[in-house]
Amino acid sequence: MELYGDFLFKCAMMRLRDPAHAEDAVQETFLAALKGGQAFAGRSAEKSWLVGILKNKICDHYRRASRETPFTDLEFYADEERGRFVAEGAFQGAWIHELGPQEWPNPGASLDNEEFWQAYRDCSGKLPKNVAAVFNLREVDGLDGKGICRMLNISENNLWVMLHRARMALRRCLETNWFGKGGEAP
Amino acid sequence: MRWLRQAVGALGALSPTCKRATRLQSEAMDRRLSFSEKLGLRLHLFLCKWCRRYGRQLKFLRSAVRGCEEHESREAPQGLSPEARERIKQKLQSSRE
Repeated sequence: MELYGDFLFKCAMMRLRDPAHAEDAVQETFLAALKGGQAFAGRSAEKSWLVGILKNKICDHYRRASRETPFTDLEFYADEERGRFVAEGAFQGAWIHELGPQEWPNPGASLDNEEFWQAYRDCSGKLPKNVAAVFNLREVDGLDGKGICRMLNISENNLWVMLHRARMALRRCLETNWFGKGGEAP
Repeated sequence: MRWLRQAVGALGALSPTCKRATRLQSEAMDRRLSFSEKLGLRLHLFLCKWCRRYGRQLKFLRSAVRGCEEHESREAPQGLSPEARERIKQKLQSSRE
């Protein structure tokens, strides 16, 4: 608990964004770990074992939430950057060149930069809760789409729309707040 | 050179719009595209450097965040509050007894 409490709480905060819910998830994780603890021998893998339990608890939380209110969010970013595409004529639907994706110089170098991750967290924080949740389940945890749909009781088509808009919005936000500024802190 | 312009024009007519291509590139990360979707997208990416960038950036985003709890510095900065820590400790204690 002393060793991993903070770390698990940070993980949970990234997913749930609510200190009370995150605290619950951490508490349930430790309770489950205590129960199953005897069976667990390898200490080196302890942290990832706890993270595994935590992820299950977070999934339980989403499952419960999706039973109370539908998880689908088709409102967010519904215009899909419409203003950045040509509105009519032969080139309708094409990027307006100055407003389209810009070149990101050496994006890999940002991965070790704490300020990049601060920018990422800010951008991710602007996504609505449910959109961020499906993005995290799919991209961070690498769960497959069908599993996410079953867990949250949403259709595959709606999942794809939500993921598409989440990626689009994150890409745009990182471009504006990070890469567009030369990868420097804003 | 007229034939070249015509050829590019014909290819362009078969290719989806950029707006559609952004959606297809995202969906290609989640499901198998149909043959015609794949063909159209390939054709589009061949012609359009903005969408090639877009696709590269989506893949960068995926590789950047995948498994990011391995790197503590990438998580939210604030940890458990002392009060929350105490509450959890007590709960664990009482479950032991």
